[in-house]
Amino acid sequence: MTVWTRSALHQKGLVRSAEGSDQEPIPFALVERNGRGLCLRAVNGAAQRLGLWRGQSQADARAMAPDLVTVPADPAAETLALQRLALWAERFSPCVALMAEGPAMEGLALDMTGGTHLFGGETAFIAAFEARLAKAGILARVAMADSLGAAWALARFGGMAQIAPVGGAREALADLPVEALRLEPEAVTLLKRFGLQRIGDLYPLPRAGLARRFRGPRAGAMGLKVVERLDQALGFRAEPVVPVRPPPAYRSFQVFAEPITETAGVALYLPDLAKALAEQLQRDGQGARRLTLTGYRVDGATTSIEAGLSAASAQPSHLLRLLKEKGLEALDLGFGIDALMLSAPVAEPYQTQQEGLDGERSATEAAALAGLIDRLQARLGEDAVQTPRPRGSWLPERSEGWDAASGLGFGAFDPVLRPRPILLFHPPERVEAIAELPDSAPARFTWRRVARRVVRAEGPERIAPEWWRLSPASPRAPRTRDYYRIEDETGRRYWLFREGLYGREDQDRTPEWWLHGVFA
Amino acid sequence: MSDPPSFPEGFPVPERGLEEVAAAEPQDLAAALAFALLRVSPEPDKGVPRPGLFVAAKAWLRERGRPFAQGWQMPTLSSGGLIVVAVADERQVIWALEEALKSGAVGGAVAALSAPDFVATRRLAFAAKAGGAAAAILRTTGAEGLSAAWRRWRIGSLASAPQAFDVRAPGPARLRAELTRRRDGLPGVWELEWDDDRRIWRDAKSGPAAAQQARGLRLAAGLARDGLDPFGPSSEGPRQVG
Repeated sequence: MTVWTRSALHQKGLVRSAEGSDQEPIPFALVERNGRGLCLRAVNGAAQRLGLWRGQSQADARAMAPDLVTVPADPAAETLALQRLALWAERFSPCVALMAEGPAMEGLALDMTGGTHLFGGETAFIAAFEARLAKAGILARVAMADSLGAAWALARFGGMAQIAPVGGAREALADLPVEALRLEPEAVTLLKRFGLQRIGDLYPLPRAGLARRFRGPRAGAMGLKVVERLDQALGFRAEPVVPVRPPPAYRSFQVFAEPITETAGVALYLPDLAKALAEQLQRDGQGARRLTLTGYRVDGATTSIEAGLSAASAQPSHLLRLLKEKGLEALDLGFGIDALMLSAPVAEPYQTQQEGLDGERSATEAAALAGLIDRLQARLGEDAVQTPRPRGSWLPERSEGWDAASGLGFGAFDPVLRPRPILLFHPPERVEAIAELPDSAPARFTWRRVARRVVRAEGPERIAPEWWRLSPASPRAPRTRDYYRIEDETGRRYWLFREGLYGREDQDRTPEWWLHGVFA
Repeated sequence: MSDPPSFPEGFPVPERGLEEVAAAEPQDLAAALAFALLRVSPEPDKGVPRPGLFVAAKAWLRERGRPFAQGWQMPTLSSGGLIVVAVADERQVIWALEEALKSGAVGGAVAALSAPDFVATRRLAFAAKAGGAAAAILRTTGAEGLSAAWRRWRIGSLASAPQAFDVRAPGPARLRAELTRRRDGLPGVWELEWDDDRRIWRDAKSGPAAAQQARGLRLAAGLARDGLDPFGPSSEGPRQVG
C-alpha cells in the first residue's frame, strides 16, 4: 500500500504570517507583482473570512478590506521555510518530498508506507501531525491517500474526510471539485464551462474525447493535462517523488516524551542510538562513511551535526567518539528537541582487516595507502598529492618530476653521489654575490636582504645547459651553471650557482648568481 | 650499513608517536627538516617500509622551498616512497596529517605548521599512535604554547665538520639538537653529524674527532671499500653506494 500524506499549508509566508493572525484576526496577505500588477499571493484566515482570495489584485482586496495588512512576498524565503519544514517532517518518514510544481501547489508529501502503525494508526497519526504543526504555529491540513494526487486533493478540498481508504480514492474524490486535480486555471475554467464541476463528473466521460478536448491552446505542448492529472489522482499513472534528501539507508531513532533542552541530554541518549545504528550496519556488513545526528525541534525546525569517517566503521564507540569530537554543543536545541535521529547517509562495505605476510607490502597496507591518497585527493584536489620521480636531466629542477600520487608505485631514486639540498627553491632566487675571482666561489652574498659571509665553499659542480630545450618563451640560449655548496659564518649551508661563464657565454649579459637550495 | 646507528648517549631513539621539531632560527629550517626526517624514520618493520609523507601549505613551499627528493636522506624513501601534499592552509595541513597517520598507510610524516593548538596536537598524537606512525611537526618559529607532542626539539645549524680532503670545503653537516621538553625523561642537548658513508646521523663529539684522528685509517678503509678510488664520485670523500 502506498499512502501519501499531504499537508497543505494554507499560510504561505510560514515565518511571517506568524505575526498576529491567530490571536488578533487582522486580515493579512503577502503580495507579489505579476502581469496584472500587485496581487495577493497568500492570505490568512481573517482575510479569507472577509472574502479575499489568492490571486486577487491588491487594489480590489483593499477595497473589500481597508485594514488589510500586506507585505511583499519573498518566494525564496518561502521555499526555504518549506524545505526546513520538510527536514523536520523526516521525523515521521524518511522520504519527504517538496511539492512546488506550480503556484498555490506548495506543500509536503510524505511516503508513509507501512509507517503509520508506529504512530498509532492513520487517524492518530494525522491528528498528531496536525497538532505538532499547530504547536509550531503552522496552519496545515494533512490528508492521506493511495496516490499523491488524491492526498493532495483531500488535503485541500477534502473537508472532514482526510483519509481515503486503500483503493478508495475513486469514491473519495468523486464529490470534490475539479480544482482538486491540480489543474491549471484554464483547464478548470474550461471544465466548469462544460458543466463538469466535480471530479466524479469526469469518470464516465470517454478518455479519448477528454484528452482531445484539453489539448490546450498551444499546439504540440503537453496540453492541459486533465487526463494525466486524473490518472495520477486515481493511481493509474505513477508520479515520481523526489525526497528533499535521499533517505538514509541506516538510521536509528529516539523519540522523547519531554523535549530535551540540554546537550547533556543528547549525550545521554547518544550511546543507544550509536549502538542501534551500528547493529543495523553490522547486520549488512556495512560501515558508515558519513554520520548525521539530527535533532527535531519542537518548533518545527531541525538541527544537525555531521561527521565524516575516513574509513568505513560500524563500531558504536568509534561513531560515538567521532560525534563527540565534532561537538554536540553545535546542536542548536532551541526550545528543546523531541526526537533524535542518528543516520548514516553514506555507508560502504566494511572489511575486517587481516595482517599481511612478511616480505611484501601487505594487501591491507596497499589498500590503506590507496584509500589515503583517494581521500587526500578528493578533499585537496588532484594535484595536491604528489610523488617525486627521477627524470633524465642534470638540471636540478628538471631532475625530478612530480606526478600525482597513485599508490601503485613510487619513483626509485638512485643514491645521490653529489651533494643535493634538502629544500629546493623553484624558481631559484636571485642573490647578490661577490667573488674574489670571476670563476671562483663567492666570498659573500646577499640573500633575502641579509648579507652572508662565506666561510667555506665547495665547487664548482658544472651543469651544462640543455641547449636542445630552447623554449620560445625565452629565446635566449640557456647558460652554463656552476653550483657551489657554501657554508656561511653561522653554519648554514646553501646551494648557489652562477649562471653564465665570464667572457665565454652570452657576451652582453654578465653572469648572475642564484640561490637554488638549502642544505641541512 | 651493517653497523647500528651510533646515536649519542642518552639520545632518544626515533620511535612512533608525535614530536615537534622547531628551528632555532628561521634560517635553521633546513637543519630542522633534516632532523625531523631522522625523527620520523624509526627502525623499519619487516617487509617493505611504508612511504613517508610531507605536508605543507603552498605558501610555505613557495617561501621556504619545496622538498628535493634527491637531497632527502630518509631511509624509507628509497623503497617506501615519498608523498608530498601541498595544501591551501594550515587547517588542511593538520587534517591531511591526521588522515595520513590514522590510515596507517604511512610510516613517517612531517608537517610544516607554525602554531598548532593543543587540541590539534593531541588529535595528531592519537592518530600517530593509532596508525603506528612517527610524525613530526616542523615549526619555523620557536616551540611555544601547549602541545601534546611527546618530545619537543630545537634545532640549530652548526658549522660543518672538517672536510677530510679539502679544508676549504664544508664537511659533513652538523646540527645542534636541543630537547627542550620530553615526557619520559630529562631534557638534553646533543650535537649530531651527518655520516655520509653510513647515511645516518651520528654523535658529532665522537664521530668527527675519531674521523680526524683516524683520517688515514678512514682513507684506507675507503680505498678498500671503494675499490681504490679514494675520491669517489665527488670530492667529499668515499661514499658507499647503495
